[in-house]
Amino acid sequence: MENILLKDNVAEIEAYFAAGGYKPLKKALGLKPAEVIEEVKKSNLRGRGGAGFPCGLKWSFIPKDAEGPRYLVCNADEGEPGTFKDRELILKNPHALIEGMAIAGYAIGAGHGYIYIRGEFAEETELLQRSISAARAKGFLGKNILGSGFNFEIFTHRGAGAYICGEETALLESLEGFKGQPRLKPPFPAIKGLFGSPTVINNVETLAAVPAIIANGGDWYAAIGNGKSAGTKLFCVSGPVNKPGVFELPLGVSFRELLEKSCGGLKPGKILKAVIPGGSSTPVLTADEAMAVKLDYESLAAAGSMLGSGAVIVIDESQCMVKLLQVLAHFYHHESCGQCTPCREGCGWIERIMNRFEEGRADRKDIDTLYSVADGMLGRTICPLADAMAMPVMSFIKKFRAEFEAHADGKTCAKK
Amino acid sequence: MPFKFTEDFKARAEKICAKYPRRDAALIPLLHEMQKEAGYVAEEGMDALALLLGLPYSRVKAVVTFYTMFNREPVGKYHLQVCRNISCHMAGAEGLLTRLRSRLGIAEGETTKDGLFTLSAVECLGACGSAPVMQVNEKYFENLNDEKLDALLEDMKHGRVQR
Amino acid sequence: MPTLTIDGKPVEVEKGTSILEAAQKLGVYIPRYCYHPKLSVSGNCRMCLVEVEKAPKLLTACSTEAAEGMVVRTVSDKVKAARRDVLEYLLINHPLDCPICDQAGECGLQNYYMDYSLAKSRFKNEDKVRRQKRRALGPHLVLDNERCILCTRCVRFCAEVTKTAELEVMGRGDHSHIDMKEGKALDNGYSLNIADICPVGAWTSRDFRFKQRVWFLKKTPTICLGCATGCLIEAHHNENTIYRTVPLPNPETNTWLCDHGRLAYKAVQGGDRLVKGVIKNGLIDFEPALREVAARIDEARGAGAVAVLGSPWLSIEDNAALARLAKDALKTENYCFDFASEQGIKDGILINKDPSPNANGLRLVKDAHGGISQAELSSRIAAGQIKVVLAEARAAGLIKDALKAAGTRLIVFAANKGEIPAATYATLPYASYFETPGTFVNYQGLRRRTTPPAEAPEGVKPLWAVVNKLAAYSGSSLRLDSAEDALKGIDLK
Repeated sequence: MENILLKDNVAEIEAYFAAGGYKPLKKALGLKPAEVIEEVKKSNLRGRGGAGFPCGLKWSFIPKDAEGPRYLVCNADEGEPGTFKDRELILKNPHALIEGMAIAGYAIGAGHGYIYIRGEFAEETELLQRSISAARAKGFLGKNILGSGFNFEIFTHRGAGAYICGEETALLESLEGFKGQPRLKPPFPAIKGLFGSPTVINNVETLAAVPAIIANGGDWYAAIGNGKSAGTKLFCVSGPVNKPGVFELPLGVSFRELLEKSCGGLKPGKILKAVIPGGSSTPVLTADEAMAVKLDYESLAAAGSMLGSGAVIVIDESQCMVKLLQVLAHFYHHESCGQCTPCREGCGWIERIMNRFEEGRADRKDIDTLYSVADGMLGRTICPLADAMAMPVMSFIKKFRAEFEAHADGKTCAKK
Repeated sequence: MPFKFTEDFKARAEKICAKYPRRDAALIPLLHEMQKEAGYVAEEGMDALALLLGLPYSRVKAVVTFYTMFNREPVGKYHLQVCRNISCHMAGAEGLLTRLRSRLGIAEGETTKDGLFTLSAVECLGACGSAPVMQVNEKYFENLNDEKLDALLEDMKHGRVQR
Repeated sequence: MPTLTIDGKPVEVEKGTSILEAAQKLGVYIPRYCYHPKLSVSGNCRMCLVEVEKAPKLLTACSTEAAEGMVVRTVSDKVKAARRDVLEYLLINHPLDCPICDQAGECGLQNYYMDYSLAKSRFKNEDKVRRQKRRALGPHLVLDNERCILCTRCVRFCAEVTKTAELEVMGRGDHSHIDMKEGKALDNGYSLNIADICPVGAWTSRDFRFKQRVWFLKKTPTICLGCATGCLIEAHHNENTIYRTVPLPNPETNTWLCDHGRLAYKAVQGGDRLVKGVIKNGLIDFEPALREVAARIDEARGAGAVAVLGSPWLSIEDNAALARLAKDALKTENYCFDFASEQGIKDGILINKDPSPNANGLRLVKDAHGGISQAELSSRIAAGQIKVVLAEARAAGLIKDALKAAGTRLIVFAANKGEIPAATYATLPYASYFETPGTFVNYQGLRRRTTPPAEAPEGVKPLWAVVNKLAAYSGSSLRLDSAEDALKGIDLK
């Protein structure tokens, strides 16, 4: 099928407009905000950042009678290891995001939208700013958009190097000029979000899907994909495949099809060992599990993992799982915000145990310690970063215990 | 030495503040601006920024030390930031780092004596499909290998790579 | 008014009450580090996790609002396991230097460790994160970041109570640490509260450091006399020595205590404590000093040239005794218990505009015994009618220039040498209110009585008793055998 999001040659506003762009915005502005939300609800569009929360439902949580400003925030803090779809989407189709934001802003009654983009994406930020200016010049943003009386401005805001800011309340803290430390919930952002006002936070990919949904109708979108997992998804494939990259496919596509058709299979001589299907924090699948799984919210949950951000990390037999877990442990230790005790202390503890494995100082008891340290973090913190550390640890041990035992017994790695 | 913002900076700062309903939301963007000018965020600069935004110094310092992109000391002309996370690791990031260490004679967190290079290992840069990746200042260099890396170093040494 | 069940017991609470507070109402204690009733809720320590029926995960009792029909379990196996885990995480990077830690004996880590009987640590010691130890931050505090569990109570105290925001958690992850501007002092007038609220030994008081193990300390509730606010405090003492005072939180006056009031006890314990009489800068024993004072009073008395001045720094008892001395023994009209004072909290926290603790108590003495106005006394002094003034040292300080100008002889009562005004002729020591009971009325009209945690130094008597003796020298008996005797005739209502 034709791509909805990843299109070529639409980065400039003229081309985007020529391809039918900004017509959905005009259509949306002719509807009541509640009708726009209804259409998005009908589409079954779910959050593409990782949690998969129904988008229309999220929008409908904004209190109808709330006084004062409301905000729309686009989460472009793409940081989950393995994920690089938002960057690609912004570079290729920035106006889909801008138009999606204008429609979302109209639906929830926001006057301002902020794109919180990770600090490293300097060029992408500049491109977005240029695109925003172009949209503004054409009257798609600003005051009285297309004569509708609706006013909407979009600002970009760069992060500064903190994975945790991908968590929506940490993102809000950061956007307000604080350390990116997640907030206690409740209150949820829909009630008390940015600057204390009702706020919707959506991922880049989620918002970019909105214009097509308005153009073609919620039913059209809901029919794509696999039941409750509706629409297309950007899958980011990294690892030893012939053609890594971002692929837009209907949800429910099999991993096998993604690997073999889209990515041209594994590189010569490589044998599939494992797949992390939804970004580094989702539980790892063995090669057999991966080859049998469909890539959608429900199928991956049934397989004991998650769709997450759609970041498919392919691991081949030449890789040492213990070493990879050390790399991930280092990452989560580095990124823990330090607020909650279990995460702050647990992530560091896990990395240090992993270092013992790598340095030949571990014994078999350390495997159980590692598992229980992770288990003790699970579900006990303000945000899911502790879970994001614990899940790979527990799944790596469950599925590749023999490699840990070999490190403990042989005090070295067979892959070295 | 007392720190003073230029008039130009102050004008830009006001423009940035105007994007938000509260001035303090401009803290991180303004730290980026300061770093763009000086290459790092100086201690005295934090005091001045706190004053400019009407914040306690401790808030500014806490923010600067929380986010990894803010350099608290001057860095080299080229800040080489090699991603060490999972996809880049599988694609040979460790080899790149080893090569850079030996070619430049510095370890991570250090700057060459000529002030040209600072080396850092960083976490996921969000470009895993083109691993291994290195960010130099604000620019990405992707699908790297030894040959590309060597050529890039030569270009930088001869000023052929824009800062 | 939601009703919920905690550990099988029903409890009705006001809307907005947290599970932790609801449990407290039932007498169920939920362990906590970051929660503090007077600070915002941060929910970061994760120690107060409890099980709530139908909730998929454990919830923090401090931040979860009690709701109708909620069923909460605070001691289930799941809860105990979570607390044990949190403690283990907290201890992996803790230095375990309890033998040299002042917090030992009142430490949240030690106490909960005993409660949740942790097994031997599985953490390999050589891997500990090291942080900065022992750093003096300001005149009153020492910070040991290695002992810190990052509960952020201190950060929130400075942001929310003193609103000075000196402190922050710098860095992130397990390299987070408490810090402030290099070279600046943490000296906001309330800094020692930070040592109180620190649940571990990260913040310790420089005054208290290494002086005494806490389990030797006895605790006596009493009043702070640092100003007219009259905060409730608890004096911690052992073998007649006070080692520290801490706030005794109460809804009427105070949760906290200012540094000035907190350290006021030092005036009666240090080297400047007055334990003998002073005649023209020379220390002499109490009895000869008293005889000298009596002789000087006697000399001037015939001409009606003795005046007695009350003091807002003295208790009602001692002021009343002074009034009786003037009225009934010296039979003079020259006594004044008239002090103008402007009262009210001046810093929005605790410190009162009126630095003296008992202006309102003094008024009761004036109501009972009368006396002349301060203006009248001043004019009589200026007119040379007064040869000797008997007063408490700090009150005398208020009129010392007028006395000097008129060449009037000043005789004072003082507990500390630092209080004695220059050119004082004679000084008599008296028992401070850490050593003898006294009644005070604070700016709100709250009457409170001190409970002495210590005994006065040998030979030092309560002021009313010294007055009683002076009266005897003048040939009268005031019949003051106790502090209560002095209160006779005063309407305390």
